Amino acid sequence: MSRKLGTLVLAMGILVGAMGLKTVLTAKTKGTVLMANNPAPFPTIKQKPKP
Amino acid sequence: MPGSVANFLWCLGTLFELCFVVCSLVRKSFGRYFFLNLYFILSVLVSAARFLTLNSYGQESDQYTYTYFYTDALLTLGLFVALISLYSHVFGELGFSKQIRFGAVLLLLGTAAFSYGVVRQSEGRLATSFAYELSQNLYFVGLVLTYILWGAVLKLREARTRLVQIILALGLYFSAYAASYALLNLADKYAVIQYLSQLLACLLPLSLSITMLRHTEDSRIATAPLVAVQR
Repeated sequence: MSRKLGTLVLAMGILVGAMGLKTVLTAKTKGTVLMANNPAPFPTIKQKPKP
Repeated sequence: MPGSVANFLWCLGTLFELCFVVCSLVRKSFGRYFFLNLYFILSVLVSAARFLTLNSYGQESDQYTYTYFYTDALLTLGLFVALISLYSHVFGELGFSKQIRFGAVLLLLGTAAFSYGVVRQSEGRLATSFAYELSQNLYFVGLVLTYILWGAVLKLREARTRLVQIILALGLYFSAYAASYALLNLADKYAVIQYLSQLLACLLPLSLSITMLRHTEDSRIATAPLVAVQR
């Protein structure tokens, strides 16, 4: 197997693993969002009034 | 305006980020860890932009929300590039630089395509949803990449103390972020978790600054005892 093909397979494997992990961890969250990149306060998201 | 705890953590985190850049300059390692420094410089600039928007429009405004999500996507991209640069540090000497660049581009494109696929059906603004989704997905890709890098460090018996500690700090950061996501399933009070995520963002630059200050580029560490189980 060439190095290029190996990289492609590895990259796809990482992507599948990461998305699988995310799905498992966020499956039961109630639409809440969490960001940890920068310690700025999270914006208050306004809820749209129901018609 | 946010509460005093949130503001305090924000100031503290920005201070630690600046501290890391200063430590790198003082220890003459700015060029060696250029992308990590770039990430923290970007984060300080983002803090300034968010502060200006927050002061002008308030925390509930659309302006602050959009600024927050777009800059977060930018920062996550910066962190991803910084992580790939660490891969280059570890695998560069083995002649895998080309493959690393190719893999990084593939991963980024794959994550972007996946994120687009998820938000394509959303009713709201597509660009904002995409920025948010890409940021979240790249975090989890970063988590998996860090674990693979740690495995490679152990396998290759990488001994550079700074590199090992930076990778460990990033691993803890990504893992704690994922754990706080899982904690959201259990915790009722969202604010507590929010402070936790802010605290995490403070701890990463702090731990990296300590690494920069305590060790030189010539410092070496044996990685095997780090994973050995005490009997």
